Amino acid sequence: MATPDAGGACVFEAIGLTKEYDYGTVQALRGVDIRIAPGEFVAIVGQSGSGKSTLLQMLGALDHPTAGELRYRGAPLSAHGDLASYRAHEIGFIFQAFHLLPTFTAIENVQIPMFETHRSTSERKQRAMELLKLVGLEDRLHHFPSKLSGGERQRVAIARSLANGASVLLADEPTGNLDSENATLVLDLIVRLRREQQFTLILVTHDMGIARQAGRVIEMKDGRVVADTLNSTSH
Amino acid sequence: MTFFTVITRGLTRRPVRTGLTIVGIAIGIAAVVALVGISRGFETSWATGMKTRGTDLVVSNMGSALTPKPYPATVVDRITPLPHVAETCALLADLMSVETTDMMIVSGRQWGGFTWKNLHIIAGRMPHDAAERAVVLGQTAAEVLKKKVGDTLQLETEELPVVGIVDGGAIVENGSVILSLPLLQELTGNEGKINVIDLRVTPGTTKEELRQLCDQISALVPEARAVIAGEHVRDSQAYKIIRAMSWGTSLLAVLVGVLGVMNTMLMTVFERTQEICVLLAIGWKRSRIVRMILLESAMLGLIGGIGGVLIGIVGVKILVQTPAIRGLLEPDLNPQLLLSAVGIAVVVGVFSGLYPAWRSSRLTPSHALHG
Ligand SMILES: Nc1ncnc2c1ncn2[C@@H]1O[C@H](COP(=O)(O)OP(=O)(O)O)[C@@H](O)[C@H]1O
Ligand SMILES: [Mg+2]
Repeated sequence: MATPDAGGACVFEAIGLTKEYDYGTVQALRGVDIRIAPGEFVAIVGQSGSGKSTLLQMLGALDHPTAGELRYRGAPLSAHGDLASYRAHEIGFIFQAFHLLPTFTAIENVQIPMFETHRSTSERKQRAMELLKLVGLEDRLHHFPSKLSGGERQRVAIARSLANGASVLLADEPTGNLDSENATLVLDLIVRLRREQQFTLILVTHDMGIARQAGRVIEMKDGRVVADTLNSTSH
Repeated sequence: MTFFTVITRGLTRRPVRTGLTIVGIAIGIAAVVALVGISRGFETSWATGMKTRGTDLVVSNMGSALTPKPYPATVVDRITPLPHVAETCALLADLMSVETTDMMIVSGRQWGGFTWKNLHIIAGRMPHDAAERAVVLGQTAAEVLKKKVGDTLQLETEELPVVGIVDGGAIVENGSVILSLPLLQELTGNEGKINVIDLRVTPGTTKEELRQLCDQISALVPEARAVIAGEHVRDSQAYKIIRAMSWGTSLLAVLVGVLGVMNTMLMTVFERTQEICVLLAIGWKRSRIVRMILLESAMLGLIGGIGGVLIGIVGVKILVQTPAIRGLLEPDLNPQLLLSAVGIAVVVGVFSGLYPAWRSSRLTPSHALHG
């Protein structure tokens, strides 16, 4: 099993992370121990229902673990105070279903997270424009999500996830709803952005072709990590 | 894009529902404006009517009826010797169905009394003397009754000639049928009875002395009470009932508005559960979600309130033109009432949004985002 360097340098350190649903009848995570170093590209693979999404949600503080400990950059997440601010500034989240807000245009969607910053209205707009340019959508600024293709929607979502300069990107099957052409496009974009912006990337997928691009592959089964391998072929 | 854009986007996503909700509040607020405006108008119209007549005190027994109870005319003799009393004028006033109208002020006035003096002839003439069997009409009353000088007016059992049309300077005066006291006493079978004494005090009388005089008269004349002009309507039991009913009805209408907004906001929170979870997931604070919902419902209230005030004003203007109450009152739509109506609507909006906002703030971001 791969274990990156000492505790203090970890972005995430999970110890016995457990998550139960429905009053303990569903055990989505059964004691997960992992450490993830800054700048890593980790792919999480495993069958459907193995707890991949649940793990990602714990890391992104979208929900509380039932038991166990989760540390972010050395400090327990529970001690991180305002989790909203953690979600807003530290983490970028990308969903399989995109989850853009349907009543807002592309450029407005990208501005939504920036309400939690001190940027002015014009700064927000300017930055959203730059981000959309970064994902190649400068000619789709004022389109509503319903007028965008799946690939375009996911690129807007990527721009949104980077709006507040997250240092960790959590992507839950980001290409799962896309055809292979768009899947490649979106994945290449994520990989390119990671290279440029040096964020830590944790990506859930069941596409082994995608997983091979990661530096490390964590395999889950029944709420446990069953394999954790460094990928020597990757960059 | 500002936060305000977020609010308006929330409201325009379901334009029909938003529109209907606004109409719901608007109707409630329109009811408040109309009912309160009219009941207060009743009060202020009488007050200005008294003022233009030059009346300082009114001696009457409002009891629980809309018009005061009659009492012997001899009461006047007991009042005139009191200090500060300059002039008195005895009246017999009644709300009566006259010809085609349901309710009209008919005012029999002591011949030569000061309440005749503020009446300015627009057409025709005043009666020659107390004994002439004739009436003059306030200009609105003339319009409502469709009478001109030379026509006759059926009052109780008698056809009386209309000898003049007058401008009394106030809505209650202009809406009145005016005749000499003895004639009305005779027509209504109230010989020797009056029900109002308009009293004018000597110049320089202070408000304090005026109140003392009221107490004195009320003690001296058990049949009636003396009240400062204008306050007598507010004091009357009937008016209190009208006021209570208008507020009660308004309250009900507003309550319906509250339920409408609450329902709409709950629906919007339910159908936007996933979006609210997304907002939380990308870092919005719960307080921002709460603010978004409260501002949306406050906006519903504000727009509904403004709409309601406009509907209310138009409605009242139309209502007072109807023959049934034309000439009886001028609605009191003062800015304070209109502003408080809008204020009530905004409070209704915010209040209705509290529970939905609380519900939405309880969501866990992962709740609607699985997969
Ligand atoms: N909100 C929830 N309530 C109840 N059970 C859940 C909930 N979320 C996930 N689960 C269950 O937890 C297990 C792990 O789910 P998930 O993390 O979504 O798996 P994966 O993403 O690997 O497909 C599954 O059995 C799933 O049914
Ligand atoms: Mg999943």
